[in-house]
Amino acid sequence: MYTLHYAPDNASLIIRLVLDGAGIPYRTTLVDRKARQQDSAAYRALNPTGLIPVLETPQGPISETGAILLWLADTHNLGPGPSEADRPVFLKWLFFLSNTAHADLRQIFYPHQYAPADAHRAHLEIMSTRMLRHFSLLETAALQHSKLFAAGKPLGVYTIVLTRWSALYPVHGPRWLDLRDFPTLTALARAQEARVETRVIARAEGLGPNPFTRPEQPNPPEGSVL
Amino acid sequence: MTLTLHHVPDFASTIVRFALEELELPHTLAIVDIDAGSLASAEYRKVNPVGLIPALETDDGPMFETAAILLWLVDRTGRLGPGPTDPDRGPFLSWLFFTSNALHQAALAMFYPHRPAGEANSAATQAAAQVQIVARLGLIEAMLASQAPRWLSVDHPGVLGYYIGVLVRWLSLLPPAPHGIDLADFPHLKAVLAAHEARPAAQRVAETDGLGPTPFTNPGT
Repeated sequence: MYTLHYAPDNASLIIRLVLDGAGIPYRTTLVDRKARQQDSAAYRALNPTGLIPVLETPQGPISETGAILLWLADTHNLGPGPSEADRPVFLKWLFFLSNTAHADLRQIFYPHQYAPADAHRAHLEIMSTRMLRHFSLLETAALQHSKLFAAGKPLGVYTIVLTRWSALYPVHGPRWLDLRDFPTLTALARAQEARVETRVIARAEGLGPNPFTRPEQPNPPEGSVL
Repeated sequence: MTLTLHHVPDFASTIVRFALEELELPHTLAIVDIDAGSLASAEYRKVNPVGLIPALETDDGPMFETAAILLWLVDRTGRLGPGPTDPDRGPFLSWLFFTSNALHQAALAMFYPHRPAGEANSAATQAAAQVQIVARLGLIEAMLASQAPRWLSVDHPGVLGYYIGVLVRWLSLLPPAPHGIDLADFPHLKAVLAAHEARPAAQRVAETDGLGPTPFTNPGT
């Protein structure tokens, strides 16, 4: 059985929603971020970058959200296989989500890793403008490729969790995303929220009753977000 | 398989060229004139809505994203990396995504330092990127030293070797002093890249793209 190393409302949420959405059994192991467990020797042995999540599989640990999604998609037929005609669409948007949308959003969450304190305002302005452009591209892609971007599927889940975080983090930052500007993504948020696994996981991670259509600061029963 | 690569020599499309040459896949190069604003044209945006180089047109439609193209080639040919059922697939994917979203992203911040926080903060952006680049190459070096994976090795050419090779090339050439890297600090990686650049396919690309005889390990010559 798989083991997902997770922290509430961390990128492990994306994997968890996909695993449960597909009915794939797994267990969870909490990474206690308050105790900086992600920096422990034991965790770094699983993932030397110290980032969450890690999925332990019979073939060893896999890190990187996009890598785990792709591995699960290929192992459990959750997306188009290598010889299928929509494989290019699947791969290009998965990498775009990982190295552009997710990477830029991380910059907004952790600005001190990228710019000095007196530059944080300029940084946020530039990065949030970029993120809105990314969401426009994803809105168009989700409309064109509705099956690949469906609720519960890797691209759909990845996209909609990024919209959730955009509305919540950093906790005291100004808000710049109005999901209503993106009707396809709004519909995706509703569809993801209507799925039974979303309710179960939202309870387990303290994400509130409307984690995608009306995100609120989480109140996790165990572990901490930061 | 009909393939057209939208290409600018020594841009990220060069990474894809190394893979195409190594696989001996016939392809057409569509040389992009970036100075003429072609990337912003409606025609190019139909191929790549993000408006970046590279893009690869295939029988199954256009692709973009360097790593996505590399992985698609691996999976279509069964070469230059572990396939979906290979037990090495997990770690290969982890390090391919890491290279794409961490190493490549930090390199872009170094080369285009005005992008994250504006012109006024370019120096600080480069300083932060330098720290990240050295740390991330260090993680790759440590992984090579402890795991010696087949998919990033001296004995087997792979897409990840060419990908990291081109990034290392740029990181050796482009950053202003005191930034940049010395590949001697990463000896296992250096050996892997030396083996890749010496391959006949790599030499063909180096020749036609004007990258010099040792494009990864000594790019200034």
